[in-house]
Amino acid sequence: MSETKPLAEVELRIPSRPEYVGVARLAILGVASRMRFSYDEVEDIRLAVGEACTRSIDRLNGAADGQTIHLRCLIDANRLTIEVRNALTEAPPREAPPDILNPEAELGGVLIRILMDEVHTEDRPEEGVHLMRMVKYVAR
Amino acid sequence: MNLRVETHRPREGVAVISLGGEVDVYTSPRVKQEVVDLLSNGTHKLVVDLSGVEYLDSTGLGVLIGGLKRAREREGDLKLVCDNLRIHRIFEITGLTKIFDIHRTEGEALDKL
Repeated sequence: MSETKPLAEVELRIPSRPEYVGVARLAILGVASRMRFSYDEVEDIRLAVGEACTRSIDRLNGAADGQTIHLRCLIDANRLTIEVRNALTEAPPREAPPDILNPEAELGGVLIRILMDEVHTEDRPEEGVHLMRMVKYVAR
Repeated sequence: MNLRVETHRPREGVAVISLGGEVDVYTSPRVKQEVVDLLSNGTHKLVVDLSGVEYLDSTGLGVLIGGLKRAREREGDLKLVCDNLRIHRIFEITGLTKIFDIHRTEGEALDKL
């Protein structure tokens, strides 16, 4: 997370359903396009956010009804930090299977790690919290 | 749904699925259904044309991997057409260029089936 206050912050909350992942992608496209990223870097960020949202839905393991995904974008002069968090409002879901058993989830994780400069995950299933924090630095 | 799926059969036992728009966690079940239906109906040689695809995520890749596996189990094959550098890069960074035959044109892919 940023140690200093970001220049700007954008937040978005979407229903934790596949049809809304495109909304998150559109929003991040708008945010990243306002920064000094190249076209390819903006596309990388868009794909990574889509994958993080998909992972977030997967983590709910079918218990997505009424749940939301919370995106938080911290905009700094030299980097964009994006947090994708399950914000559970009801009982925690059934335990999600490990990614290794799901080749698509594994591919999604591989993509995120390749496309972004830093990736941190924080899973506290007992509290229903799954957080992914990704950072992309602006090339000098 | 921002996905277009059009299928034609250039010859017996062969189908070309042309995709357009976004292939993601929301739309890829529609692509999977098309592939599964064709394979179930005896069409085991498939070309999936990604020329019109603007966005492809891991769920879309998963559908293509599953289609290739199912086709080969039936002694068929699944070839890809991709002339979009951005989409091609996703196959490269995930190492999937090693398992898929990716061609620049539909004609080239059909010749290799």
